[in-house]
Amino acid sequence: MNYLQMAIPPRSEHLWRYTPWPRIHPGAIDEVPNADHVLFSREGCEAFETTSQPADTFDDIARSFLHAAGGSYHRMVISGESEPIHINARASGHIAVGHLELEVKDSAVVFIHISGEPEWVGLHITGNIHPNAQLSFGFINELDSNTKFLRCEDWVVERDAELEHATLSVGGFRCKSDLRSTLNGTGASIRQSITVNAVGARHDDEHVEIHHLHGHTNSDLVMNSACAGSSHFIGTGLLTIVEGANKSDASQIFRNLLLSEKARAEAIPELEVLADDVSAAHGAASAPVDRDQMHYLMSRGLNPGEAQALIVNGFLLNAFSNLTNKYLIEEMRTRLTVHLECELKR
Amino acid sequence: MSEEILRIENLHVEVEGTPILKGVNLTICRGEIHAIMGRNGAGKSTLANVVMGHPAYVITEGSIFYQGQPLEELAVFERARAGMFLSFQYPAVIPGVQVGTFLKKSVTSVRDEPPKGREFRKELTAAMDQLSMDKSFLSRYVNDGFSGGEKKRLEILQMLLLQPNLALLDETDSGLDIDALRIVAKGINQVAVDSACLIITHYQRLLDLVKPHFVHAMIDGTIVQTGGPELALKLEDRGYDWLDVTA
Repeated sequence: MNYLQMAIPPRSEHLWRYTPWPRIHPGAIDEVPNADHVLFSREGCEAFETTSQPADTFDDIARSFLHAAGGSYHRMVISGESEPIHINARASGHIAVGHLELEVKDSAVVFIHISGEPEWVGLHITGNIHPNAQLSFGFINELDSNTKFLRCEDWVVERDAELEHATLSVGGFRCKSDLRSTLNGTGASIRQSITVNAVGARHDDEHVEIHHLHGHTNSDLVMNSACAGSSHFIGTGLLTIVEGANKSDASQIFRNLLLSEKARAEAIPELEVLADDVSAAHGAASAPVDRDQMHYLMSRGLNPGEAQALIVNGFLLNAFSNLTNKYLIEEMRTRLTVHLECELKR
Repeated sequence: MSEEILRIENLHVEVEGTPILKGVNLTICRGEIHAIMGRNGAGKSTLANVVMGHPAYVITEGSIFYQGQPLEELAVFERARAGMFLSFQYPAVIPGVQVGTFLKKSVTSVRDEPPKGREFRKELTAAMDQLSMDKSFLSRYVNDGFSGGEKKRLEILQMLLLQPNLALLDETDSGLDIDALRIVAKGINQVAVDSACLIITHYQRLLDLVKPHFVHAMIDGTIVQTGGPELALKLEDRGYDWLDVTA
């Protein structure tokens, strides 16, 4: 079924409750734009393999739309890479779309940094982590503050493979992410962290699905957002553990820091556990800045603005505490700290 | 006569409408070490917190003067920049903020001139060595997962770096083993030489190592007795019941 044949998803669906499809679509919902390319480039390398457009097999409206809109198609097979791979995704024009397929055959660290000023950007990343391979993946969204951004990801983590997945979302005016991972073999694991800094009237909706299809699989999701101004953050998680996927261990934690009276945050973890012998935990909390933390820092000479900035910085950095790869942690920490310092100077 | 650092006059304080301090008078001069002892709930920690400006405490009557100036006019961070320091009984945990980053920001805020990188590292290393603190402390998050003793050492480390005029130490000895207590006491003695120091404690053992010039007994929100070091020994020996009769 192609995009134009699909029904618009109702707001009663978990995925579309807070950012309905018409709000993230670039124009009239019965139109498919002819999108410009998101240009992918790898630092230090000129060549980037392009691929032809695959057939539309999607049953999801966002993915089907991105497929119909076209844009650029790239593929990268990662094997024997000892250094971290930095991929710049540059979006330009009015509407830009990019598709990237990653095939990870052993251990690798990959960063994707997306930037640009189009009105609308769509990105679809698919990844396959081969058996016993490890991928540490960092995604940094630094799009222009007027850009709408739709991002879909689909990861398959095979037997005994590991995916460490970090997102830093600080760009775009209205963002919708739909990040799905499937633990597709015994011993597969994912550690995922998402950190969102929402300022002004920014709207950021991060939906994460993790599907445990086999026993002895592990997942750990941490999502931290700091919301200022009249911003709105939505974090939804769908964790499924299928029947028979015993000894699986899953955890989801959502924390929101509300920095103004008009800022809003929703944190909605959802569990579907059909196996008997599993460990599945979830937690969600939204709160203003802790008064005792503020007092402690101010009692050490920091003025209220400095104290709050330090607390927010720490809170957002703490989302990366479930990661283990030092390159990934360091890069994400650095990008976040630089962003917050720039924001403080504005 | 030594310089007066802190003067508290007839201080009455409430927390959420409940009176806690009921007329405290106290003067501390530079070079003096004062100790306050009393039962749980007597108001000792309230006194330290209200002097440092915690927003939960409301002064309903009386005044506090710091170096002759009314303290009510100063915000918390201004009090710190003016040379006041509180070692917290329960220091706040600040996840994601590394100790090294926090210390640099704090020292930069309090000093007139921000410390230069190399000089600050040297100073920090010396202070940490003095407190037998491992360098790995610096990359840990502030008080996150710290043992009771580690929290207290971090408080004293901050005091050494900030070099306050007035040091308020709220049960800094609790949770410390004997060796750690000696190390912490050494740090307090170093700072106390050139500052005014108020120690809140339940135990004589800290006062064996940090000799107070004055000891005050606090009962139900007021100081009911003031004496020398012998008062602490008497309280350790006899408890507080005999003061109820006096009060």
